[in-house]
Amino acid sequence: MVDVELSQPPFSFLDEEGRDRVRSGIDLAYFERDQIILDAGQPGEYVFLIHKGEVAELDPTLPGAQSRIGHYTVGDLFGAISILNGKSRYRFRAEQECLCYLLPKGLFKQLCEAYPAFAEFFRQRLAHKTRLLTERRAEGGVAMAGFMLARVDQCMRDPILVESTTSIAGAVHTLNDSHADSLLVQGEEGAGMVTKTDLLNALVVEGLPQQEPVREIAHFALITARRDQYLFEVLVQMTRFKVERVVVMEQDAPVGVVELTDVLSYFSSRSYVVSLQVEQANSLEALAGASRRTPELVRALMAQGVKLRFAMGLLAAINGRIINKAWGFVIDECYHADSCLMVMGSEGRGEQILKTDQDNGLILADDLEWPDCHEQMQRFTETLIKLGYPSCPGNIMVSNPEWVGTETEWRGRIAQWAASRDGESLLRLAIMLDSHAVAGKTTLLERLREELFERCSRDEILLSYFARTALRFSTPLTLFGSLKKPQHGIDIKKGGIFPIVHGVRTLALERRITATSTLDRLDALVADGRLEERFAEDLGEALSLFTELRLRQQLERLDNPDGRDESPDRVVVQELSSLERDLLREALHIVKDFKQRLSYRFHLEYS
Amino acid sequence: MLKALRRAADRRRHAHGDYGWLFTPYTGNEMVAIDCKTTGPDARHAELVSLAAVRIRDERVLTSDSLDLCLARPASLAGDAIGLHGLRGIDLADGTEIEEALARFLDFVGNRPLVGWCLKLDLAVLNHYLRPLFGFDLPNAGIDVAQCYQRQLHRNHPERDVRLCLEQVAELLEMPVMRRYSALGDAVTTALIHLRLARGALLAEQRFC
Repeated sequence: MVDVELSQPPFSFLDEEGRDRVRSGIDLAYFERDQIILDAGQPGEYVFLIHKGEVAELDPTLPGAQSRIGHYTVGDLFGAISILNGKSRYRFRAEQECLCYLLPKGLFKQLCEAYPAFAEFFRQRLAHKTRLLTERRAEGGVAMAGFMLARVDQCMRDPILVESTTSIAGAVHTLNDSHADSLLVQGEEGAGMVTKTDLLNALVVEGLPQQEPVREIAHFALITARRDQYLFEVLVQMTRFKVERVVVMEQDAPVGVVELTDVLSYFSSRSYVVSLQVEQANSLEALAGASRRTPELVRALMAQGVKLRFAMGLLAAINGRIINKAWGFVIDECYHADSCLMVMGSEGRGEQILKTDQDNGLILADDLEWPDCHEQMQRFTETLIKLGYPSCPGNIMVSNPEWVGTETEWRGRIAQWAASRDGESLLRLAIMLDSHAVAGKTTLLERLREELFERCSRDEILLSYFARTALRFSTPLTLFGSLKKPQHGIDIKKGGIFPIVHGVRTLALERRITATSTLDRLDALVADGRLEERFAEDLGEALSLFTELRLRQQLERLDNPDGRDESPDRVVVQELSSLERDLLREALHIVKDFKQRLSYRFHLEYS
Repeated sequence: MLKALRRAADRRRHAHGDYGWLFTPYTGNEMVAIDCKTTGPDARHAELVSLAAVRIRDERVLTSDSLDLCLARPASLAGDAIGLHGLRGIDLADGTEIEEALARFLDFVGNRPLVGWCLKLDLAVLNHYLRPLFGFDLPNAGIDVAQCYQRQLHRNHPERDVRLCLEQVAELLEMPVMRRYSALGDAVTTALIHLRLARGALLAEQRFC
């Protein structure tokens, strides 16, 4: 028997006898800071009632700050939903030292049966929470940016122009044929507007004959906007003048019409809709549909000038959810708790904006029996290809048995890679360092990464070998510090992106930083004191610039797939504007500086 | 030394008795926090009023699985002590007989290590009853939380020499105090303090400067 405050819901739904059962049935548990109370995928055994302390709810498949999805403090309950669902979907971690009351599963279920109001409370919470989560995921924080930055010409209809002598009947026919709501009437001094409402009023209220020319009923005092105005300004105008249409004028001629319904639907589409589609997809086809829309989303984000860092974060989250969902559809439920699917390479770092390839691997728990594992993995890889992830040229995929293994096997592989230090092994270590869990039991990967850090972070010789790869490609700068300008362009993936990503990865390995995204790693390195803040910022900006240049070329290639077949990594300097050229040169100088620091730190001067 | 000899003798004598298993070493991961309430502070003359025990497993205090016994009214129950633990003569009217209570206590505790606040006092009172009735002292390993606390405090702040009571320590460690002065409440509080101390609560913090 313990004293516990039971006057709050849901315990207020119990009677005195029920409360006594709770009092005599609960245990106390004490959790240290950062201890994981309930891990994702674990079966729920208790309902936790916090007596003291704070608990965070995390989704371990999401990167960095997005993973925090809930926070509980004194008096809050958690874990009930895990019991109702059978297993916990998220990870609960003690933010401070925590003292919790533990209500065992058996007792909780008995109470739910005996007191319907009590059970109802949890069911409501479940539904409420699912809704909240879906909304939250879908937002992703950029809807607002998109809203503010969209311009008029992204959401404008072509105008339908008619002569001023057209009859009302003719106007109605034109409207019906073009499924529009309004017409522009060419008048002597500028254009006028006729809407459906005007036509109806003219025919019914005023009783005009059908042959009457539309000039008589058109409004010539128009609310106009320019092509390059922000869409929200137009929305403000509509609200101010109480109209539903604004005419877009260019050099005194109407070039388009913006309708209120279009503005509203524009704002409610885009990023929001794609992520919502992913969340709501309940079959592979629906998922594939949502997946096909991501390039469109990328283009919209780029057009709106959303910062690349946020775009990458959003896309990484969406890609993660797509793969996670595909995993759920293809792989039997019973294997989820004992296996961990990880994405690696650029996707593991959350830097894959367009789907360029799939790098993934699978870790199995040591005691898992999975006879048809290989077939299922084959199927999974094919599913991903169907979803638009091209297969990996290096064959780093779950369909390749080399990238599937039990935890012990993986440990063995890491040990072997760390020991042999040849090119292939170093490459694999690098890939493994960027791995990020997207589905299944995430602790498997965490343990493996710890092992990796344990084995490599203190091994100076290995680190030095590892870092040397960053210097492999020369920076495309001339002796005098200006850009090299070969005809076929400079390779910014090799010359710019790779040295930064790999160098930062090496430093992260040395300092045992668990973040996988390069920008997050830079932040962590600053916090750790390994890099100055200024320099880390510059590196981040340089990386963003390279990625953006590359992305632009990738998008162009998507637009006309057969037009140009050279690699998207090549940037032809001559085609850039002078500002871009300057930026690129500055960025490459930062890369050069970073390489020098690396070679100084890891003693690569003579190697 | 004397205690060890006595324990060896007890073990020999009871090796084949009902309670022989109490003398085997414990291998599990459980402990038992105990607390006794007596009629007075002097262990030699005090009589047992109530007795509680609660199991600790890993980081959990299994309050759902606890033992809380009131004993039949002892002869020396008087004013002062009643003020302390709030058990009046009338509350003890249907208390358990001492022999039955001890038997249940032994079954509950088994050979698990004991955890207590000033465990020595509790053990003295219990052994005082156990020896005449069962013929042995409690052989269990014991952890005195008060002593642990003093030791950890001393390691951090050698200059401080204070004796604190259970309540104050619980407050300092920001632990809740369960129904103070009931045996079970104190046992649970003790268990919680033990869990915190075992995780180095004092070593990590400088809150007491």
